[in-house]
Amino acid sequence: MDFPILSVIVLLPAVGGLVVLALPRRRTELVLPVALALSLLTLGAACRLLASFEVGPAGFQFQEQVIWYEPWGVSYHLGVDGISLLMVLLTAFLFPIALLASTAITHRVKGYFASMLFLEAGILGVFVALDLLVFFAFWEVMLVPMYFIIGMWGGERRVYAAVKFFLFTALGSALMLAGILALALLAGDQLGRPTFDFVELLGIDLGRTAQFWMFGAFALSFGIKVPLFPLHTWLPDAHVEAPTAGSVILAGVLLKMGAYGLIRFNLTLFPEASVDLMPVLAALAVIGIIYGAVVATVQTDIKRLVAYSSVSHLGFVVLGIFALTTQGLQGGVVQMVNHGLTTGALFLLVGMIYERRHTRRIADYGGLATVMPVFAGIFLFISLGSIGLPPLNGFVGEFLVLLGAYLSLPGFAVAAVLGVVLAAVYLLWAYQRMFTGPITVEANRGLRDLGFREVVLLAPIVALVLLLGIFPKPALDRVGPAVQGILDRIEATTDYVVPQFGTEAGLPEAEVRP
Amino acid sequence: MNAFLSAAPEVALAAAVVLLLMVEVAFKPRPAAWGAIAGAGLAAATGFSAWQWAAYRGADAGVFWHQTIAVDGFAAFAGMLVFPLAALGLMSAWRLAVSQGRRGAEFVALVLLAATGAHLMAAAADLVVLFIGLEIFSISLYVLAGFTRERVDADEASLKYFLLGAFASAVFLYGVALVFAATGSTKIYGSGGIARYLAGTIIFRPGVLLAGLALLLAGMAFKVSAAPFHVWAPDVYQGAPGGITGFLAASAKVAGFAALARVLTAALGPRAADWVPAVAVLAAVSVVVGTLLAIVQDDVKRLLAYSSVAHAGFILTALVAGRGGLGDMWFYLATYAVQVLGAFTVAAAVSGDGAGRSPLRHWAGLGRRSPWLAATMTLLLLAMGGIPLTAGFAGKVAVFRAAIDAGYLWLVIVALLATVAGLYFYLRVIVAMYLSAPEEAEGLPCGPPVGWGARLVLAVASAATLVLGVAPWPLLDLLRHALPL
Repeated sequence: MDFPILSVIVLLPAVGGLVVLALPRRRTELVLPVALALSLLTLGAACRLLASFEVGPAGFQFQEQVIWYEPWGVSYHLGVDGISLLMVLLTAFLFPIALLASTAITHRVKGYFASMLFLEAGILGVFVALDLLVFFAFWEVMLVPMYFIIGMWGGERRVYAAVKFFLFTALGSALMLAGILALALLAGDQLGRPTFDFVELLGIDLGRTAQFWMFGAFALSFGIKVPLFPLHTWLPDAHVEAPTAGSVILAGVLLKMGAYGLIRFNLTLFPEASVDLMPVLAALAVIGIIYGAVVATVQTDIKRLVAYSSVSHLGFVVLGIFALTTQGLQGGVVQMVNHGLTTGALFLLVGMIYERRHTRRIADYGGLATVMPVFAGIFLFISLGSIGLPPLNGFVGEFLVLLGAYLSLPGFAVAAVLGVVLAAVYLLWAYQRMFTGPITVEANRGLRDLGFREVVLLAPIVALVLLLGIFPKPALDRVGPAVQGILDRIEATTDYVVPQFGTEAGLPEAEVRP
Repeated sequence: MNAFLSAAPEVALAAAVVLLLMVEVAFKPRPAAWGAIAGAGLAAATGFSAWQWAAYRGADAGVFWHQTIAVDGFAAFAGMLVFPLAALGLMSAWRLAVSQGRRGAEFVALVLLAATGAHLMAAAADLVVLFIGLEIFSISLYVLAGFTRERVDADEASLKYFLLGAFASAVFLYGVALVFAATGSTKIYGSGGIARYLAGTIIFRPGVLLAGLALLLAGMAFKVSAAPFHVWAPDVYQGAPGGITGFLAASAKVAGFAALARVLTAALGPRAADWVPAVAVLAAVSVVVGTLLAIVQDDVKRLLAYSSVAHAGFILTALVAGRGGLGDMWFYLATYAVQVLGAFTVAAAVSGDGAGRSPLRHWAGLGRRSPWLAATMTLLLLAMGGIPLTAGFAGKVAVFRAAIDAGYLWLVIVALLATVAGLYFYLRVIVAMYLSAPEEAEGLPCGPPVGWGARLVLAVASAATLVLGVAPWPLLDLLRHALPL
C-alpha cells in the first residue's frame, strides 16, 4: 500500500481540532489562522487526490484496509470512486471558506473552530468509509460538533433547533444501525463469516423482503438527512438558527451525505427494492421540489427562503438518483456539487448582509443595489446559477436530471420542470424586493459594500459556478464510470433495463427511427 | 489450584476489613491509614483475580469448597472489574468518608465488604452461596445509602432500599427453594448439579421449576434495577449521599448481572427456551420505561437512575443471546459501570458529596464555571447515549449484534428507538451545562471544588470511555474467554 492519502485527509482536520483546543486560552487571535491553515492543508491533500485519481476504471481507488476485529468482520476500509471524490473535494473546498466566514464568532472561539474541524473530519470520513460500521460511526459522531455549532453559536431559538436537528437525525440512523447489523449477520450466513465490508456485501444475495426492509431503514436515515419530503421539518429551523458558517456547511455538505448514502448504499445494496420503489421515491422528490419552491416563495425571511430552496433543489437530486438512468444519476451527482456551491454562497451572502443589518426580513431591505453594487451583482450571479440559467452550473445538473428522469419517468420530469420555473420566481422576486428600486429603509443607506475578505471568500465559488457551467466535462468524466457501475449492477441483479435515448418505453425502436 | 487460593480475593478483602476495623479501634489512625489498608486489600484481591484469570480463562471452571465456589474466566473477570471499581468508588467518595469523622472507617469497610459480596455473587457455584454473597453485598449497600444519617432523604433512601431489597432477597430465596424442589440440588456444577440434571432429564411437569426460575429472575432483576422491579432505584440514587451513589449504581449492576448471567446460562442453560423470552420482555420493558421516565426528570441523579434502568435493559439485551452474548454483556457492563461511576462523581462535585439531590439548575452554565468537569460529563453522557468513538457505542453495537444474531430483531429495534429518545435527556443535561443563559447560573459557585480522588476517577473514566470507544477490539477479544463453564 502506498501513501494512505484518504486517512490523511480524514485525520488532518481532526488533528487540527485538537491543535486548536490545545492553543493557549489568551491567544484567541491564533485560532482562525491555525484552523484555516489545517483546512487548507486538507484541501491541498484533496487536490492531490484529484490529481492522482485515475479517470476511466470503475470501482474504488486509493483503498486502504486494515482488519480490526475478525469475529465481527469490521475493518478500517477506505476508498473513493468518482462520486465520493467529488464530495470530498466539495467538503474540503467549502470548509476553508466557511471558517474564513466565521469572523463574527467572538465568544468561545476555540470551541467553535475545533468543532468545525471535527465536523470536517467526520464528514470526510462519511464520504470515504467503505465499511458500514465505520461509515455509521462517522455518520453519527458528526452530529455532536454540528449540535454544538448550532446550539452554542446559533440564533435565538438555537437550543430548540439544535436538539431537533440532533434527534431527527439520530432517529433516522437508529433504524439504519439495525439494518447494518442485520445485513452483516445475513452476510455471515452466506459467506460463513459476518462482514461489514461494503465491497464484500455487494457479493451477497439478499432476499426480496430483506431488501425492502433494509431499503426502508437506510432510506429513512438518508431521507431525513437529504431532506426528503415529508422528513424535512428539521431543516428550516436548523438552517435559520445556525451561524452563517454552520448553514453553509449544513446546506453545502451535510445534506449531500443523505443523497450520497442513497446512491452508495440503497441503489447498490438493494437493487431490487430500488427498482420497485423508484416511483415512490421519485414522487416524494417531485413533491419536495414543488413544495419547497412554493414555500420558499412565500417566505418573508431570506434565510428561510434559501433553506426551503434547498428542499426543492435536493428534490432534483433525489429525482435524478431514482430516475435510474445514466443521465439522471450523473445529473444528480453534479447537482449535489452545484447546490453545495450556490446555496453555500447564498448563505454566505445572507450572513454578510445580516452582519451589517442584523435582520433577515426581506421587507427590511430594498434598493440595496445602489449602495452595495458588488454584493448585488454577486447575489444575482449566484441566484442565476441556482435557478439553472445557462451557462452557469445549475443548468448542467438540472438539465441532466430532467433528461434522465424523462427517459424513465416522463410524468415526473414534466412536473419537476415546474420547480425550475418556481426557482426563478422565488429567487428573482427576492432579488427584486431586496436590491432593486429606491432605498426604502433609511438604515440601509449607509451600508458598506463587500470588503476584501468577503470578496476573497466568494470569488472561488463564483469561479467554480462559471467553470462547471461552461466546462462540466471533468466532473462528468469522473462520475461517469461510478454511475455506470451502479446501473450495471442494477441491470445484472434485476430485470430492469436502463432506458437509453431512442428506446423510449412503449415505442418500438423501429418506429422512432425515420 | 489450591482450594484456599480459589477464595483468595474474598479472603484478602475480609482480612483487610478486619484489620481496618481493629486498627481503627486500637490506634485511631488518620484517614490515610484507612486508604492504605483498603488500597492494599483491593490491590491484593485484584491481583488474585488477575492470577485466576491468567490460569483459568478459556478453560473449564475449577469448582472448589464442595462445589460452592467456581474459579473461571467469568469469576476472575468479575473480580478484575469489581475490585478496581470499588477502589475508584472509594476515591470518588473519599471526601465524604473523611467528612464522617471516625465513622469514616466503617464507611471504607462497608465498601470493601460490598466488593467482597459482589465478587462472591459472581463466583458462586451454589445458589445458597450466591444468596450469601447477595446479602453481604446488599446489606453493605443499604447502610452506605443511608450513611449521612442526619439527612432525612438519606434515611428514606436507606429504608426503602432495605425494605424492598429484603423483599427481593426473599423472592430470590424462594426461587432457590423452588429450583431445589424441582431439581434436587442447589449446586450449579458437578454430577448432581442443576445444569447436569436439567440437561439430562425431561421434566413433564415443569411448573415448580418455572416458578422458581421466574422468582430467581425477579429477585435478580430487582438488584440490577430492571423494570418493572426498578421503583427503588430513583429514590435510592437521589437520596444516597452524592459521593457513594456512583459505587452503588455501578457495583449493583456488575454484581447483579454477573450472578444473573451465571444462573441463567450455566445453571438454567438447558432451559434457555423458557427464560430467553422472559429476559427479552424484561429488556424491552426496562429500556422503554427507563427512557420514558428519565425524560421527565428534573434532577440529574434521578435522571441517571432512570437511565440506569434503561441500561439494565440494554445489558439484558445481550443475555437473550445466551452464552453467545456473555462477552458482549461483560463489555457493556464494564464500560457502563465506569461511565455511571464517573457521571455520579461529577454530580457529587456539582451538588456536594453529602447531598442527595442534584437538580438540573445546579448544572446551569457548568461549561463556563468548570470547563473540565462539564467536558467530562458531556463525554460520559454521550457515551451513555451511544455516540460513536465512545465505549458506549461499541457496547451498544456489541449487545445489539448479539441479540440480532439470536433472532431478536424486534428487541433491537425497540432498544434503538429508546436510544434515540434517551439522547433527548442526555442532551438536556448538556444543554443546561453549555447552552443555558448566563443569568441562570447566577449564585452558583464558580468552579466547584473537586477532590484529587474524584479527579482521578474522572480521568480514568474518560480515558477508558475514549480508548475503548476508539479501539474496543482488544477487550472484546479478551472477553470471549469470560464464559462460565
